[in-house]
Amino acid sequence: MSWRRVCATDDVDEDELREFKVGDITVLVANAGGEFFAYPPFCPHQETPLSLGMIDGDTLTCIKHLWQWNLKTGETRENAESPLLLYEVKVEEGEVLVNLEKELRYGYQ
Amino acid sequence: MRISVRTRGESFEFDCAEGEKILHAGLRAGIALPYECGSGTCGTCKAEVGRGEIDEGWLEAPGRAYVNPERSEFLMCQATARGDCAIGVHARVARLADGIPAPEAVAGRIARVEGLTRGVRRVAVALDRPVSFDAGQFMLVGTAAVAGRRAYSMADYRLPTDRLAFVVKQVPEGGFTDWLFAEDRTGSELDLFGPLGVATYVPSLPNNLVCIAGGSGLAPMLSILDHAIETGHFEARHGDLFFGVRAERDIYLLDRLEAYAGHEPERLRVTVVLSDVAPTAELAAAHPQLRFDAGFVHEAAMRHMTGRWKSAMAYLAGPPPMVDATLRALVTEARLTPSAIRYDKFS
Ligand SMILES: Cc1cc2nc3c(=O)[nH]c(=O)nc-3n(C[C@H](O)[C@H](O)[C@H](O)COP(=O)(O)OP(=O)(O)OC[C@H]3O[C@@H](n4cnc5c(N)ncnc54)[C@H](O)[C@@H]3O)c2cc1C
Ligand code: FES
Ligand code: FES
Repeated sequence: MSWRRVCATDDVDEDELREFKVGDITVLVANAGGEFFAYPPFCPHQETPLSLGMIDGDTLTCIKHLWQWNLKTGETRENAESPLLLYEVKVEEGEVLVNLEKELRYGYQ
Repeated sequence: MRISVRTRGESFEFDCAEGEKILHAGLRAGIALPYECGSGTCGTCKAEVGRGEIDEGWLEAPGRAYVNPERSEFLMCQATARGDCAIGVHARVARLADGIPAPEAVAGRIARVEGLTRGVRRVAVALDRPVSFDAGQFMLVGTAAVAGRRAYSMADYRLPTDRLAFVVKQVPEGGFTDWLFAEDRTGSELDLFGPLGVATYVPSLPNNLVCIAGGSGLAPMLSILDHAIETGHFEARHGDLFFGVRAERDIYLLDRLEAYAGHEPERLRVTVVLSDVAPTAELAAAHPQLRFDAGFVHEAAMRHMTGRWKSAMAYLAGPPPMVDATLRALVTEARLTPSAIRYDKFS
């Protein structure tokens, strides 16, 4: 697998997070002020679905223990102990394409 | 029994008694193992068994939805050890900071039960020996008559004390609350463990306080405001309490709320928010020191706090959907940083 269509840009409202399934891989897509980003679906802390998280500007926050990241780079903010993994994304003709060459996973334990 | 814990930083060892929950043994030894509810619902205390055998305890615990049995994960707040064990915790863990009251098991007896409003009671518990706690903390409370322990927040602040007060709301078909509400339980023996919880007020805190409570979530706010008033917090800073319930008949401790509002009328404001039926003019007229509003408590808080968020420390407690909705509003509308938000989900 490499570049795969995950959704249309219209499928994710501004400052929303939504999960999509592409084959066996679940991808979380974020629309941050019109820019699109894609991540594995779970929080790197304790596997809470990040689709329940919240976007404010370029900050993504997990609802469970409020870990925060820069949603564009995955870098930790304030209290998060590990970074967010990002897939490569491109938008072409209203379609969100994600590079699913390799499924990204967190090494929980 | 000896438990060794590998964490993402240091490793620790501690003793665990027969039948003692692994979480309790670690906390008792001064190791700040991760937990939130202490009662099997949130999944925050999950760990992995490396060597040795554990007994998982309550197998239907909702928090088990977060554990992966393939990785030998379990909930430390429910599990006991069958012998020496080596476990792993996927988090940074430190020793409990100095000055934080170390939790312990303590026995108690229900000294007095008082109805506050329909389905809400104040329960005073006389302890075998005095305990210390920080305002906002809770105890795990159990009785031999009901399996497992439930978390209840201290609703008074007095230290050190051999008497604790809780505000308990009846939950339909709830194991512990059905037992408590079924008849007069004065004199019944309880076993408690605590104090627990990090949604605390300490007098050195330089912030303005914003307390947002739903239903029985008022309990920890009572101890927080008691302590803050005692230390003169509102002489220099302001405070807001938002107390959300469904309807007028669900409001309780109105006299205490009025006393808070009368304490520093300019600086400490108390707003009662009704979600199902708008407050009547008579209610507002009968309690001129209180503010009343309609809707969800977090929405009312956002309205009344416009321009007042600077240097705020927010405290949240109540049913999980109410706490989650408030967290969203605090992060995305009020733009508080996570370190300025302390919460307990009454799950
Ligand atoms: C941090 C925190 C503070 C809280 N503070 C308050 C408060 O101040 N006032 C208040 O009214 N409520 C409070 N609660 C809620 C309270 O702990 C109970 O969940 C509630 O009273 C319902 O208890 P119940 O036994 O009636 O209901 P149930 O549905 O029977 O049980 C509720 C909880 O008890 C535990 N439990 C149930 N069965 C077992 C079992 N077999 N073994 C082990 N554990 C079991 C579980 O945690 C379960 O979710 C708080 C909750 C938390 C997490
Ligand atoms: S599970 Fe996301 S912050 Fe803890
Ligand atoms: S602390 Fe054990 S499940 Fe919440």
